[in-house]
Amino acid sequence: MPVLKSLRGWLLPVLLLCLWQYTSQRDAAHAYAFVPLEQVWAALLERLGDGDLLRNLAGSLLRTSLGLLIGVVLGTGVGALMATSGIALTLINPVYQSIRQVPLLGLTPLLGLWLGNGETAKIFIIALASFYPMVLNTYEGLRNVDFRYREVGRVYGFGRALLFRRVLLPASLPSLFTGLQQAVPLAWIAAVGGELLFNVGAGLGNLMMQAETGARMDVIVVCTASITVLGILMSYLTSLAAAHALRWRQ
Amino acid sequence: MSTHTSAATAGGAGSLLSGLEIRRIDWSRLRVLAGLISPLLLLVVWALAVRAHWFTEQILVPPAAVLDAFEEVWDSGELPDGLKISLYRLAAGFALGSLSGLALGTLLATSRQAQIYIGPTFNALRQVPTLALTPMFILIFGIGETLKIAIILKATLFPVAIATVEAVRDIPRAYLEVGRALRLPPWTQFRRILFPASVPPILTGVRIALGRSWMVLVAVELLAADTGIGQLMEIGRQMLRIDIVMVGVIVTGLIGFSLDRGLRLLEWALLPWKRP
Repeated sequence: MPVLKSLRGWLLPVLLLCLWQYTSQRDAAHAYAFVPLEQVWAALLERLGDGDLLRNLAGSLLRTSLGLLIGVVLGTGVGALMATSGIALTLINPVYQSIRQVPLLGLTPLLGLWLGNGETAKIFIIALASFYPMVLNTYEGLRNVDFRYREVGRVYGFGRALLFRRVLLPASLPSLFTGLQQAVPLAWIAAVGGELLFNVGAGLGNLMMQAETGARMDVIVVCTASITVLGILMSYLTSLAAAHALRWRQ
Repeated sequence: MSTHTSAATAGGAGSLLSGLEIRRIDWSRLRVLAGLISPLLLLVVWALAVRAHWFTEQILVPPAAVLDAFEEVWDSGELPDGLKISLYRLAAGFALGSLSGLALGTLLATSRQAQIYIGPTFNALRQVPTLALTPMFILIFGIGETLKIAIILKATLFPVAIATVEAVRDIPRAYLEVGRALRLPPWTQFRRILFPASVPPILTGVRIALGRSWMVLVAVELLAADTGIGQLMEIGRQMLRIDIVMVGVIVTGLIGFSLDRGLRLLEWALLPWKRP
């Protein structure tokens, strides 16, 4: 009975949903947090219908992409600088290591005062979240390029630009993609966290906070589910891109 | 590059002339000092920027004002009290989370039935970002202690369980067979084989979980600000007291750093064979 076997994994989720539904029907106090499932479904259809969900979703995605772009470009640049110049390493590394110790979202009050509670602060947090892993992985990728590869480049009489394009870049590409695969989920979490804490503009986090003040659990469930699904999708697309870019390795 | 190569050659020369021990130590000290250049430079620029009035008082206060603010919130008891409550939440949630993570991970790794019935749910739930759960948890638990501990529990449980599953699965079969072939008693099998083979990856998972929990706790305290170090920062922000906010940033950074170092130390103490 292979069909029945594959159903066993569904037992626990179904039980949990039944428990949720039962709790929602017990009394008004429980229904406050545990809304009936049909209401969650209705909220999803309603928010999809009036475009509210898609508008906030697009806001979050756009913000994350922009922050990610800035963070990845700057992080790769700084990492490459640290890998190639000893002076840059001595100067940047201590500052990088100490700032990195501060919990990412712990910086939000400071950023709020410096950059205002708007778009700039949110994008800064996302960029910073993707900046950290990119610096580290670019640095390590370039540092660990096999010495013999450089030698081959030198034998061929490669200049700096050609050495970078033909030797250093391909050799460090796996490490760069490792960085990207860490940066994407971090950026997404930072985007959600930033939206929860800086409550202006369109975004899934903002929609969730509004729903929280209005005690609309149905909308919150829809948002949490959307954030999770999008996060999984982003990680999946990143790993696809990595597999495609590194397919020559097999 | 220049500082590095010169330091390296100096080290080489030092080991050649091992009698001149002092010389080698001098160079390594110099390298540590070089690491202080940029932070000091930053401090100087900061002080100069304040003196030149490049920014308003609300945006940039002199470094000395941050020290004064530290003294102020320490003496008034706000900082020690906030720290105490934050660290208590972290300890409680983290202890609960890592113990249940350890148990759940062991169960999932050793029992096929558990893997079949719980595995899919576990894999789905672990994908939900902890921060995205916060509004939901606020409605369920309110903004009190339960909320914070539940959030840290979630942030800790999954990474520890995942690390445990992988650690137990990656124990080479041959190790277990040796134990069985030698007919070692179960306790000895655990102490001599299972424990040393699975603890290093689990500890790494625990260390990552602790760092994440601290980040999430600070964020939740900022969001549902009633008490704790996060609330201190949030109040500082609302009162436009950038000096207090900076004290909070520095203190949370130092705590994050110490927690990580503490667990690395534990790894070092528990796993003598892993020492470099």
